[in-house]
Amino acid sequence: MSFLDTLRQKAASVRLLDRMVDVSQPVSRDQKIRNEFKLPPEEFTLDDANADISVMHPYDKMKNKPAEGQSSRAARYVYSGHLYLTAHYLLFKDSFDSTSCTLTINLSTIRKVERGAANSYTTSLTLTLYSESQVIINFIGLRHRTEQFCRKMKDALRDNVPNTKNLSPFLESCYSEYLIAKNILGNSDIHPPPTGLGYKFRYPGDASKEKPKLKLWFDYFQKQGKNLTIMKTPLFHKAIRVGVPNRLRGEIWELCSGAMYSRFANPNAYQHILEANTGKESRAIEEIEKDLNRSLPEYAAYQEETGISRLRNVLTAYSWKNPDVGYCQAMNILVAGLLIFMTEEQAFWCLVSICDNYVPGYYSKTMYGTLLDQRVFESFVEQTMPLMWEHITENDIQLSVVSLPWFLSLFFTSMPLPFAFRIMDLFLLNGPNALFQVALGILKVNGDDLLEVDDDGMFIAILKRYFQTLDQSANPDSSNPKYRQITKFQELLVTSFKEFSNITIDLVEQQRNRYRKDILHNIESFAKRTQLRNLPSTRNLSQENLSNIYDLFYLSIESHKISMGTGSSNMDFEAFIQFLSSFCDWCKPGDSDHIPRFRKQKREFLKRMFNRWDRAEVGELTLNDVVYGLDAALSKDLMSSINYFFGFFDQSGSETVNGEGILQISEALLFLTDAWKSGKCVDKLTKRAIEDDIADSLVLKSSASGQMLEDVQLPSGVTIEEEKYKQEQTERYLCAASNFLQRSFEYSKATEPTEEVDLLDLSDTDGENDDAKKKRWEALRANAALNPEKRSVMNLATFRMIILADATYELFFAETFRKSIHVDEKVVALDGRGGALRSMFDGLLADGKRVASQVRRRVDSVATRNSVSSGSALELSDNQDEVDDFSNDHTFDENEVLKNELLSFDDGKDDGERSAQQQKKLQTFSFNDDPQSRENSLIEFET
Amino acid sequence: MNTSVTSIKLVLLGEAAVGKSSIVLRFVSNDFAENKEPTIGAAFLTQRVNMGDHTIKFEIWDTAGQERFASLAPMYYRNAQAALVVYDVTKPQSFIKARHWVKELHEQASRDIIIALVGNKLDIIENGGERKVAREEAENLAQQEGLLFFETSAKSGSNVNEVFLGIGQKISLKPAQNAQDGGQGSSGLRINDDSRIDLRAPYGQSSAAGSCNC
Repeated sequence: MSFLDTLRQKAASVRLLDRMVDVSQPVSRDQKIRNEFKLPPEEFTLDDANADISVMHPYDKMKNKPAEGQSSRAARYVYSGHLYLTAHYLLFKDSFDSTSCTLTINLSTIRKVERGAANSYTTSLTLTLYSESQVIINFIGLRHRTEQFCRKMKDALRDNVPNTKNLSPFLESCYSEYLIAKNILGNSDIHPPPTGLGYKFRYPGDASKEKPKLKLWFDYFQKQGKNLTIMKTPLFHKAIRVGVPNRLRGEIWELCSGAMYSRFANPNAYQHILEANTGKESRAIEEIEKDLNRSLPEYAAYQEETGISRLRNVLTAYSWKNPDVGYCQAMNILVAGLLIFMTEEQAFWCLVSICDNYVPGYYSKTMYGTLLDQRVFESFVEQTMPLMWEHITENDIQLSVVSLPWFLSLFFTSMPLPFAFRIMDLFLLNGPNALFQVALGILKVNGDDLLEVDDDGMFIAILKRYFQTLDQSANPDSSNPKYRQITKFQELLVTSFKEFSNITIDLVEQQRNRYRKDILHNIESFAKRTQLRNLPSTRNLSQENLSNIYDLFYLSIESHKISMGTGSSNMDFEAFIQFLSSFCDWCKPGDSDHIPRFRKQKREFLKRMFNRWDRAEVGELTLNDVVYGLDAALSKDLMSSINYFFGFFDQSGSETVNGEGILQISEALLFLTDAWKSGKCVDKLTKRAIEDDIADSLVLKSSASGQMLEDVQLPSGVTIEEEKYKQEQTERYLCAASNFLQRSFEYSKATEPTEEVDLLDLSDTDGENDDAKKKRWEALRANAALNPEKRSVMNLATFRMIILADATYELFFAETFRKSIHVDEKVVALDGRGGALRSMFDGLLADGKRVASQVRRRVDSVATRNSVSSGSALELSDNQDEVDDFSNDHTFDENEVLKNELLSFDDGKDDGERSAQQQKKLQTFSFNDDPQSRENSLIEFET
Repeated sequence: MNTSVTSIKLVLLGEAAVGKSSIVLRFVSNDFAENKEPTIGAAFLTQRVNMGDHTIKFEIWDTAGQERFASLAPMYYRNAQAALVVYDVTKPQSFIKARHWVKELHEQASRDIIIALVGNKLDIIENGGERKVAREEAENLAQQEGLLFFETSAKSGSNVNEVFLGIGQKISLKPAQNAQDGGQGSSGLRINDDSRIDLRAPYGQSSAAGSCNC
């Protein structure tokens, strides 16, 4: 392989890598804020400002009424921090510790904005919310900045007016509103909003602490706001850590995951997705149906249609929303879990949030996220538990075998449901790092037992037992009753979140970025191996060829990412053109593409090829289709190659084409041979001519200088008359084209009696220039096509005969076409193999040896002619032609040979052999003299 | 009587919902559940079987069948001494998938792995359902590739134990290998580690080994 090729390949493979890894873009500031506040992707920061805020709730007012005046105001918490404004939200977070206070207020909930007494602040605003709560904002900073913020907020509020009508129906769907309405406003006839299956089918686990927990949240909602106006303080986190009451779990999950914001932003979207896709079928739907009866089957609701249909709807809707993911087993169990606490719509948005933000790529077609997190988990184990890690590696335990199901099903299939829900609370509150913390905690708590066993099966067995006993005491033998009360689950939570508190969300993200490239690469090579293994067996393509075709195939389908399993992996017509042009000389983009006629020829031929390859007739090619197609196109057998080409036009399979077909064939041939006709590529006949001419000139030079060529070497700076060869080749191809058309109509009309055609032999018209020839060809073509009497039919045999009768076309089907499809080059840069000059030289350099032997041959024959009496010359000739043949009774004097200094024959034998070989090769390739093809054409004539 | 215990690591592969888990459930607890939760990743179960004077302990890895889980399979079949490739006799597509699994195992798994081809859900045919995978076709594949072949019904229990016994027998008949296993404990045979998705390997290392040349 030449150095250039190597470089080209490198460049192309880097391109491949780039496309693969450009998945980890740096996180933008907007993205960061969205992640922090769990906002939908449509939210962008419009402005931000420093401010002190405090919140006053109606409940406070009532309580503080007797006190009145400043005293109550002084008692109120004031938080210092940063305000952000997005299109639909006003956000605030404490500057020092964002866990101490974050506030997320949807603009639709703001009823009134008043400018307050500025006090020592430059600007002060009081927002009154739908719930009568008031948020007091005191801006800190330059006046014009804060004024700007206020202006932008005013605009945003105005723009948001249309959305406010969605507020009250939305609030009716929130259980928190129901709690307040029932208990404070004293509405006794109010009904709870629609909720999950648990309300009717009971919530799994012990419900004894439900009431006090509900009360805790009731108080929180009064003091800190709720749903679309909630302020999250440390108490919020704590109330979740102790376990969320079942009736509120759905809303808390929505709130923590940000699903609530997506649901509010997209009213009715869920219903629309379902309605728009009613009755449609897909692979995902098939797979979902298989699993509907197998999702938490022990829960009563999933033994009847109530639960099953909700599950079906949510999974189906998601598969339509995100077809790249579709459906992955484990999602059914996750959604079955969500639906116990949530309505379909709530569960849908929660699933969207989990899949997109918490565990991206977990359920993708390649499950790259799952594999990636397993790698990240391993690295955490290695860093935090070196002893355990040593044990794992020493015993060759595959940790992911144990831990993968934990992550993939978010512990739903590992732990008893009530515990899995508790983990889910923390996972949605804190983020994906919670999964890692709990997983590390599990290994840590069971460390002693795990270190005793040495295979992954035993690991699983120990942990299975552990999960089943999570409700039991962690210290059953302790004398202290307080210790005895601590359950294994509580112990696990403490271990996980205390001991592994350094596993932060940022660290997880950082580690994911670190290993992403490796994992994606491994997936790609695995996918490639699998697909190559399952390809149909091929006759003309080697394993290496297939590997190249695989690379080129996927390189052409821009939208498809192998490692992430996104996009369709099938090739449409445009990608097909792109694909062929990356490695077929005749399909490469070139000057001719500007000519409308050529463009038409190209598209028509490629369309034929595409349709022929598209075995399923679906307008798309799979990798298998392409492999079948290329395998047939690359047949080394001249006859099958001709037959294959003919097949593009013979759609009926009758082995005949009509007059129209003949024209189409000739158009196709014109297109296919354009690269040679225009001198972009060089075929073997031209190459031979160049080599012969160079050899001639070398010989001429040497004889002129009277020097015998002792060591033939190709001069370093060969200059050839590029134009001359180009022109000769162009002419040859034009002739072939016109001969083809002429002969086609001449021979094909044999079936129908018509008048003689005036045979125009274009090859004899020497003086004519190309243009004139082209014109004549055009005229000929037009005549043939228009003549109504020529209702010609050409059969396959005739077509073969006509091709074989022309050296250029014969060579084209025997070799030129096949060799112009470069399946052997690993990944060909799209703009490689440029001008004609380079390709001529490329070929020349490769065949320098042949030139050398040609020179020798000429030298020999000249020498033979010149001096018949000269023994040395005669022997040279012998040596060249029949060096192995000692039976030959030429006068053969070894001694004299040895004496002859001029022809130091030490390596002469090698040279001779090579030359003989070359000559043989030449013979096989010059088809005019090939007895076999002669025979073939004879046969064809007879038929 | 001297009862020696041989551990056999066995992996089940096959398209989703062909009854892999049900076969295992039948074998391990002689039970059948109409709606089994799909396997996430893989389930691990063990079962001991007495064969003559020694005991075989099957360590069974029951893998997930959905297409996208295929990239996880190498994790489970590495070091396996036996594999059940399961298909559904009423689903031709599942048989094509079985062919692919056999190919993959021959290429990537331990060289001496014993593979049993298992056509499941025979009960459907016995109850008048239509057979879609001919017995001969499967037998041919088994013969070509040197597999054990069974048709079973996890629902009725027919022929299920025979599958495992067949594998147990075949492994017991290879004394040399047994000796080797004994020496290595339960970890079984080493296979060429490059053939699996190795989460630990830096990339470049794992790709160097395969037939691809990227």
